[in-house]
Amino acid sequence: MPVDYPFPVKALIQQLKRLPGIGPKSAERIAIWLMQRGCEATAPFAEALNAAGTEVSECDVCGFFATEAEGCAVCDGPGRDHAVLCVVEQPTDILPLERSGAYRGHYHSLRGKISPLENVGPEDLRIAELIGRIRDGHFAEVILAFSADVEGEATANYLVEILSAFDGVRVTRLAHGLPVGGGLENADELTLYRALEGRVGLR
Amino acid sequence: MAYERSVLSSLKASQFRCFDSLRLTLEPGVTLFVGDNAQGKTTILEAACVLLRLQSPRASQLGETIRIGHDACAIGGSLAESELLLQYSEKAGRKLRLDGETQRRSADYLRASELVVWMANDDLALVRGGGEGRRRYLDFMAAQLYPAYRPALQAYDRALRSRNFLLKRDASPRWAEIDAYTRLLAQHGEVLTRHRREVIDRLAPYAAEAQRQISDRDEDLRIAYEPGTTSGDAADDLATELIARRDEEFRKRQTIAGPHRDDLSLAVNNLPAAKFASEGQQRTVALALKLAQSRLFLEMRRRPPLLLVDDVFGELDPGRRNALMAAWPADSQKLITTTHLHWLDDRFASAAVITVTGGQVAPANR
Repeated sequence: MPVDYPFPVKALIQQLKRLPGIGPKSAERIAIWLMQRGCEATAPFAEALNAAGTEVSECDVCGFFATEAEGCAVCDGPGRDHAVLCVVEQPTDILPLERSGAYRGHYHSLRGKISPLENVGPEDLRIAELIGRIRDGHFAEVILAFSADVEGEATANYLVEILSAFDGVRVTRLAHGLPVGGGLENADELTLYRALEGRVGLR
Repeated sequence: MAYERSVLSSLKASQFRCFDSLRLTLEPGVTLFVGDNAQGKTTILEAACVLLRLQSPRASQLGETIRIGHDACAIGGSLAESELLLQYSEKAGRKLRLDGETQRRSADYLRASELVVWMANDDLALVRGGGEGRRRYLDFMAAQLYPAYRPALQAYDRALRSRNFLLKRDASPRWAEIDAYTRLLAQHGEVLTRHRREVIDRLAPYAAEAQRQISDRDEDLRIAYEPGTTSGDAADDLATELIARRDEEFRKRQTIAGPHRDDLSLAVNNLPAAKFASEGQQRTVALALKLAQSRLFLEMRRRPPLLLVDDVFGELDPGRRNALMAAWPADSQKLITTTHLHWLDDRFASAAVITVTGGQVAPANR
């Protein structure tokens, strides 16, 4: 038998390989890097991993990341507008919207989008929770902020139909438009096409 | 008047179908590829087509074109002042480079490319075959003329596949989910319908003219758009129609109307060409459609397209051959494959001749 890494190293490589975007070569490189630095590198790493795994959960209400100690930064945060709800595909979509500073309402992550070809249906998403929130809440507007691909648009269409049952709630979606700071010559034709279709009156 | 055009002056390919490595210099005028069948002639034209238009007339997936036993292929070439490079691997997908710079969006890459018309012996299927071939002809043309067409077609196809899957999957179809796709079909389908109608309207007079030129008779070719909906074309109509014909969709378990059922009707002297035209007339129609495409490109874009002519010449009688040469855009660069050269005359005095044998190319003695 040729010599191989000792078991703990092999086990680490095995775990690293399971991470998204990490192949066998990268897994080996990361494992060796950690080994060579010893406890000084592995202890805080293990601690952070453990904390992330045990302390962080999905907020029952909005689907964003929450902790026992601090709750959900969105739902429990101060100064939220309780009249608007922004629906997104993934909890990570909430961060860019927050950073924009343009939105102070509540969020709802669906944890995906409808995609029959990948076997994801409405029942796999947090749609029942969404309906419950709108029924019990006082939202005047629901904003659909999905990606501009076929699945994102189909999910929006599906929700528009379902949300039409709520009379007093306005349903909107994000506009398709030109990137800020970019000249027309840098925009692709489809973006321009949609920007033209969704043009805004100035007077 | 001379038109602006981009010449494809070199073509390279590796691990592409039967070619381990292909390196060619191409003439600004005519380059002829001579060889027996199944030696790789068509593959050379296919490589040029894929490089310039990112799609193959012979393969629906680029993966099919990778040489057996390999997992990646590449095609490159010099077009005017630009270097184009397309790499494809099963693992990493398609990568495009323009002058060494990676192009994330195919639209940016295609903007630097040139228009292409593909003519082949099996174009006869445009007349005799089913609607799918004629839709592909329209798509290949419209995608080169309207930048919004390709994304709309891709979105429409994906929405259609999802919708048909939903119609088949459940014993009792879930219409709320299906209708989410109905509206998408209507929205993207409207783009396809509008552009197809415009292309056919503009194409019709050129097709009629080409038919008269090639047949050298008063053959009257009429082409018309046949929408795959009963009502016509507007976006609302498709959604309305699909919802109204729900019972039928429930029985057939598929999307029963929309641009995926469009067709192009072809009539010679007022009779459907597939049924009533002679074989000679049908061959003329097939040629006329492709010549009309070249003329339309000239008219709309003011550029002569690159002509890829596969195995057409040897099969034509001298009358049609001469008519074709008289009618095709004189300024176009042409790549032509043929099994023999007995028809070659002075008109090809400046053409380069390259022999193709078993995936190897060599300049030929004339």
